[in-house]
Amino acid sequence: MRARYSPALLFSPTELGPVRMTYLIRGKIALLLKIIIVSLTSAILIMLAQSAFAQREYVISAFLALTVLALALTYLTKISIPLKFFIPGILLLTAFVIGPILYTVTMSGFNYKTGNIISKEEAIVQVKIRGIEADPSGTSFDIKLGTYDGEEAILVSDITNLKYFISTKDSRTPVAANDVTLNEYGVAITAPNFRILTDAQMAGADKSYSKVQFQYEGEYFIALEGFEAGIVSRQVLEYLPASDEFKNLVNGSLYRDNGRGNYALVDDKSAILEPGWRAPIWFENYSKIITDPRVREPLVRVFIWTVAFALLTVLTTFALGLLLALALNRPIFGRRTYRSILVLPYAMPSVMSILIWGGMFNTEFGAINTLFGSDIAWFSDPNFARVAVILVNLWLGFPYFYLISSGSLQAIPSELLEAAAIDGANPRQIFRKITLPLLLQILSPLLIASFAFNFNNFNLIYLLTGGGPRSELDGEIAGATDILISYTYKIAFGTGTQDLGLASAISLIIFVLVASISLYSLRKSKVLETFG
Amino acid sequence: MKKWLIHDSWRHIIAISICLFALFPLYLVVISSFASSGSLQLTSFIPREISFKNYELLFNSPTIPYLAWVKNSLIIAGAVAVLSVIIGSASAFAFSRLKFKGRKQGIQLLLLVQMFPAILAISAVYVIMERVYSFAPSIGLGTRAGLLLVYLGGAMGVNIWLLKGFVDSIPAELDEAAKIDGASEVQTFWLIFVPLAAPVLAVVSLLSFIGTFNEFILARLFLVDMESRTVAVGLQQFIGGQYSQNWGPFAAGSILASIPIVIIFLSLQKYIVSGLTAGSVKG
Repeated sequence: MRARYSPALLFSPTELGPVRMTYLIRGKIALLLKIIIVSLTSAILIMLAQSAFAQREYVISAFLALTVLALALTYLTKISIPLKFFIPGILLLTAFVIGPILYTVTMSGFNYKTGNIISKEEAIVQVKIRGIEADPSGTSFDIKLGTYDGEEAILVSDITNLKYFISTKDSRTPVAANDVTLNEYGVAITAPNFRILTDAQMAGADKSYSKVQFQYEGEYFIALEGFEAGIVSRQVLEYLPASDEFKNLVNGSLYRDNGRGNYALVDDKSAILEPGWRAPIWFENYSKIITDPRVREPLVRVFIWTVAFALLTVLTTFALGLLLALALNRPIFGRRTYRSILVLPYAMPSVMSILIWGGMFNTEFGAINTLFGSDIAWFSDPNFARVAVILVNLWLGFPYFYLISSGSLQAIPSELLEAAAIDGANPRQIFRKITLPLLLQILSPLLIASFAFNFNNFNLIYLLTGGGPRSELDGEIAGATDILISYTYKIAFGTGTQDLGLASAISLIIFVLVASISLYSLRKSKVLETFG
Repeated sequence: MKKWLIHDSWRHIIAISICLFALFPLYLVVISSFASSGSLQLTSFIPREISFKNYELLFNSPTIPYLAWVKNSLIIAGAVAVLSVIIGSASAFAFSRLKFKGRKQGIQLLLLVQMFPAILAISAVYVIMERVYSFAPSIGLGTRAGLLLVYLGGAMGVNIWLLKGFVDSIPAELDEAAKIDGASEVQTFWLIFVPLAAPVLAVVSLLSFIGTFNEFILARLFLVDMESRTVAVGLQQFIGGQYSQNWGPFAAGSILASIPIVIIFLSLQKYIVSGLTAGSVKG
């Protein structure tokens, strides 16, 4: 029946009965639209793939090319009907969810942190550039950037000796003093065959010129120091491609690839050359979590608080929500009004609410201290900060448990409660022995889901306390209210050393934890479904 | 009559005290937004004057492009709401109604992927979009279009999952009837399923609107320009630490930004609650 969609049949509609005409017209228009959309999208994607390839982003380019292929195959042939529905979702999910997850997994196996961010090739270039030493007297010259015979060159002015020369990476050409024109500082700005760079050219020249070693005398060359000055230097570290080593030309010592993303001195492994590169270290980021006390101790502290925070949040929000649900479980006067007021904290955008609470906890001017006549420094004391975090989360979360508890209370069969009452149970006994156990059974998957959500409640911590307070001593970055996810964020994007490898490893551990909690609760809810 | 009153009084006491707790911060923001001083310090909990100074500042001050922020939030959240539901509902329909090999594994994979906390993949998303920027500056890091793409990808997992639950609850008789009448799967989707599920799709898209509106950390990382920020990022950066000085305009701005969300939420309450019990938690 789907033959209607194949282009060959499009122009011979006679074999289809009149009843199908509406479908046919829709089919025809749909087909046209489909072809237009698919070709337009493909055109854009091919264009992007090409420019990605030109920028040497091969993985992205390949992904885009495969996308085009998948789109064409799916929508222009009849290869698979489910794929017609799935392809857009799959592509988005792959590009922005699965791709990043795989990338995170990869990063967790690398020594990938501040100082080891670039690739090995780039690192070698950088080490070479940095492995120079100024001549003992610290000679420096005023220079002008330009070209000489089409090559990158500098016009050097030795102002004290009134000598001038043009230097490229291969040659040095002295220029007579009467062949140059000087500016008001005595710096030569023109010379025969030398074309000075315009301001516009200067902006783009930074990268290429700073890498060139301009000829001077013997082993010494001129290295640029900004655009206006050059320093007489010599290369100290030389790269030996054959043995993949760096050699110190002055004292002859050798630096070898230490397998962890740095060149280290053969005799003293702790002496490494900067910068390093991102190198595979396999499971070291994971083992470091257990073996390195500087990583382990803050992590354990943060983990304990994370669990405590999530547990306390679930307990307090559930208790308050349930109390409300019980109180409003009867059609008392004003119940609708109460209800619409009580859901307000849940209806407010949480980002706004958290920021508002942040202001209320302000020590000097905040409403909380004004209300109670206290002067507590809420966010400077670890315990007060923790209380504040729990309190704000209680405000944000209790309406959720109020709503679902009151729904579930109605689901408990009234015969059960009546029977208990007839048997002489008092209301408290009924609640403890019947209502609560039943409720917990119904709500346990949601309680677990809420635990998992709060386990990763990044916004609350980040916006309210920023994880603080923390002691500034010994460079510790974990604060008293930091939960695992905010701590991981700090490790990856913090102000000090950014360790993407370690952060990725911790991320994956959190993922395993949360996924097992969620799968457990899901399984449990499935069980409940089949019995209920 | 009197006995009844005593009997129910504890209910009222609890309800009223928790209502006060719920309203306290909201009341404070409202009165500070109408205070002329604009500072965090309250002179009294009962307002003595009503001034629109903070609101005027919001719309006229060149240092707070509030309207641009609101516009960005509405455009981004609106686009995510519409597109993610169109794309997500197609996948949900296929998961729910079509039989194919690997269906179960697909659902499981989706579930697993969805459990990966988005914030943890942020560094990878950042690096990827930085690279995209190098060859396509209009959809890379720092652009609203790039942020939209990332949101769409992130919304897929949750939305497909949520929509699948809804699709499962729509009786299959109608599309089976359509199938017998000779409709293809694609036609069944567009002509039978979409009209039938329109209210549900609207609800899910409004939910993703709220979710996107509330998203903070990706937007913070992506949108650096003052003019291209969303309301959440704009207001956070505006108040960032400077509570005492910028409180008044912030209060006014957060009230205006919250009103539409609160209205959407209250009008959808019924559906949201049933969605909640289906196992999703509002972010």
